[in-house]
Amino acid sequence: MFLTRSEYDRGVNTFSPEGRLFQVEYAIEAIKLGSTTVGICTPEGVVLAVEKRVQSPLLESSAIEKIMEIDRHLGCAMSGLTADARTMIDHARVTAQNHAFTYDEKIKVESVTQAVCDLALRFGESVHDEEAMMSRPFGVALLVAGIDEEGPQLYHTDPSGTFMRYDAKAIGSGSEAAQSELQDKWYKRISLFEAQKLSLRVLKQVMEEKLDHHNVQLAQVTPETGFEILNEVKLKEIIDAM
Amino acid sequence: MDHFPANWGRPRNDAIDLYATHLLHPRPNNRAKDAFADSVQRTQQPIVTGTSVLAIKFKDGIMMAADNLASYGSLARFKDVQRLQAFGDYTVIGASGDMSDFQFIQRLLDDIAVAEIAAQDGHDLGPVEIHEYMSQVMYGRRSKLDPLWNSLIIGGFKDGKRFLSYVDLLGTTYTASTIATGYGGYIAQPLLRKAVEGYEDVLTAEQARKILEDSMRVLFYRDARSLNKYQLATITAAGVQISDSLHLETSWDFAEGIRGYGAQTQ
Amino acid sequence: MDSIAHPTQRQFNPYSDNGGTILAIAGADFTVIAGDTRQSEGYSIQTRYAPKVFPLTDRAVLAVNGFAADGNMFVKKVKQRLEWYRHAHSKDMPLRAIARLIQTMLYARRFFPFYVYNILGGIEEDGTGAVYSFDPVGSYEREACRAAGAAQSLVQPFLDNQIYFNNQQPAPGTSHPVHLPLPTILSIVIDSFTGATERHIEVGDGLEMYVVLAKGRGVQGLEDVRGVQELSVTEEGERIFVIRRDLKKD
Repeated sequence: MFLTRSEYDRGVNTFSPEGRLFQVEYAIEAIKLGSTTVGICTPEGVVLAVEKRVQSPLLESSAIEKIMEIDRHLGCAMSGLTADARTMIDHARVTAQNHAFTYDEKIKVESVTQAVCDLALRFGESVHDEEAMMSRPFGVALLVAGIDEEGPQLYHTDPSGTFMRYDAKAIGSGSEAAQSELQDKWYKRISLFEAQKLSLRVLKQVMEEKLDHHNVQLAQVTPETGFEILNEVKLKEIIDAM
Repeated sequence: MDHFPANWGRPRNDAIDLYATHLLHPRPNNRAKDAFADSVQRTQQPIVTGTSVLAIKFKDGIMMAADNLASYGSLARFKDVQRLQAFGDYTVIGASGDMSDFQFIQRLLDDIAVAEIAAQDGHDLGPVEIHEYMSQVMYGRRSKLDPLWNSLIIGGFKDGKRFLSYVDLLGTTYTASTIATGYGGYIAQPLLRKAVEGYEDVLTAEQARKILEDSMRVLFYRDARSLNKYQLATITAAGVQISDSLHLETSWDFAEGIRGYGAQTQ
Repeated sequence: MDSIAHPTQRQFNPYSDNGGTILAIAGADFTVIAGDTRQSEGYSIQTRYAPKVFPLTDRAVLAVNGFAADGNMFVKKVKQRLEWYRHAHSKDMPLRAIARLIQTMLYARRFFPFYVYNILGGIEEDGTGAVYSFDPVGSYEREACRAAGAAQSLVQPFLDNQIYFNNQQPAPGTSHPVHLPLPTILSIVIDSFTGATERHIEVGDGLEMYVVLAKGRGVQGLEDVRGVQELSVTEEGERIFVIRRDLKKD
């Protein structure tokens, strides 16, 4: 029988003797292949920025969707196997709507993040009486941005179902460089506009192509207008100001 | 499981019992499911019934009384039935209403008692817990439109506290210092309230016994489904004590001169 | 008439009416929620003390009237949902969220209703006193005051007159106050229940009044109240008090 370093990377629910779940770790690795995605939290709102890798000049760049709305006060950016994110965002949207229906209030950012993470570990063989689950872990990480009674917040989720709150976070292929740049440049009282510029500057540094309004997407969640993907005009303004 | 003892060991279809040799006519059945099952199965009425249970608080605990009769309609069918039952070391349940449903409840509680003994976890169920359990069982069954046709009184003494409560077939519950079910609610309750309310902490066991005996006597005079043979349960810090059957002394002298009662000659 | 005797089917009725009355009145920065403590069935008093008013959180109190078994079960389920919410969202459920939750819980049982009239009182997120009233299947609205239960038809017109000043002319050059002070409202509540006790057989025995004070509001209006008892643990947030009175037992 073929024996590699270990057989423990076969079963998705099998711990290795060192106590690791390889499939989950590999899934986390998959995110590092994804395009770079940046989120920045400010006192005025939260900014999300993604790199759109336009693989072909014939590809319609506006069709690349990496930032999505969860609710009026919640947005989400992704990196990794973006198709997997649809399941998660669909769940997040239903959870948010259901909360609004049942409690007549906006769901908290942390609660909706928790709800998505509850999905993350529902892979593997299904147990008797349980709903059929997924065959493998999600291969995507999310940056969940939103505003609730506790103010603007940014959360990061990964395929292990862990979520953490960040002031600024980068995920995807350029995340290491981007994250240290954010660590350098982020400050507590950063304005929304400064954060928009910072997010693009960080992306610019890690992108291979020249940054323009076709290959990046910028979104924000603010108390005034809620979630909003910035249109071409606004995006150009920020690129020019950067 | 079939929760209706009357069905046990009988053919699954009443059509087999052509001559209705069985005593109880309209009762739930466990026939194979048919389109009319919903409209038939749950309709219920009490069959063999017990009448009032009385209970009061007194200085040292709770005292309860119930007679030994189980009636089948107006027939005094069983005259040696115990309707006060101890559960655990702290609690007595008194039941009026359908006696087979009460037996079912006894089995439920026995099962719990066994599990509780087996657990040996230092917890034991007191009257408060048994009351909560019974209220959930009764409310659950009424919500299935398949009630256990009883009014129950739960009396107990645990951790230095008296407890007296009521649960019925609707799941209605309450606690009070005097409780009477059935006919006793109309006839005995006013007497009990007059004698007990405000005196819960001074009444002695002997006084409490006297109050209950007098009330049971009035009930025997007035309630045609009652019996002059009854039992008393006393629950105090010392534990549960259920008496042997007691006989009610009654006097019917007053009837002597009334036409239709005494030995009239004309 | 049919001469042949048919077997009759007696349908089991899963409901009962256990009498009693509840009411709630909202002030500018407080709310009073009250109920009598008699529980009855038909002409019989079952007990003289069965609470119908339940504190839910530090700023919400629920009064439940109608079929007592449904009422108790409903309160139990609401409390369970509040606990779950606390665990899921690490905060107490706000009043208006509780109101909506109660609607969804009641409407979920649209075809086998909880036979209860709910009145929810407390302090809103913006610090105002609020009353929400419900019908058994979940229709609800926010109001300034509401009475429900056996003596609703006696108490509500009284409140309409005393709280909303219906059919009252203000003295020339003056206008009716929008919000009444706490002592005035407590008097109106007590008068409502003594009145209902006089004229309705299902009302009496005892009265429980819960007072919820907005965050930062002093206890003015409660200092001189006999037997007032505080239930809240901290003095920072909203505070809840309970006041008990005897009502006639006949």
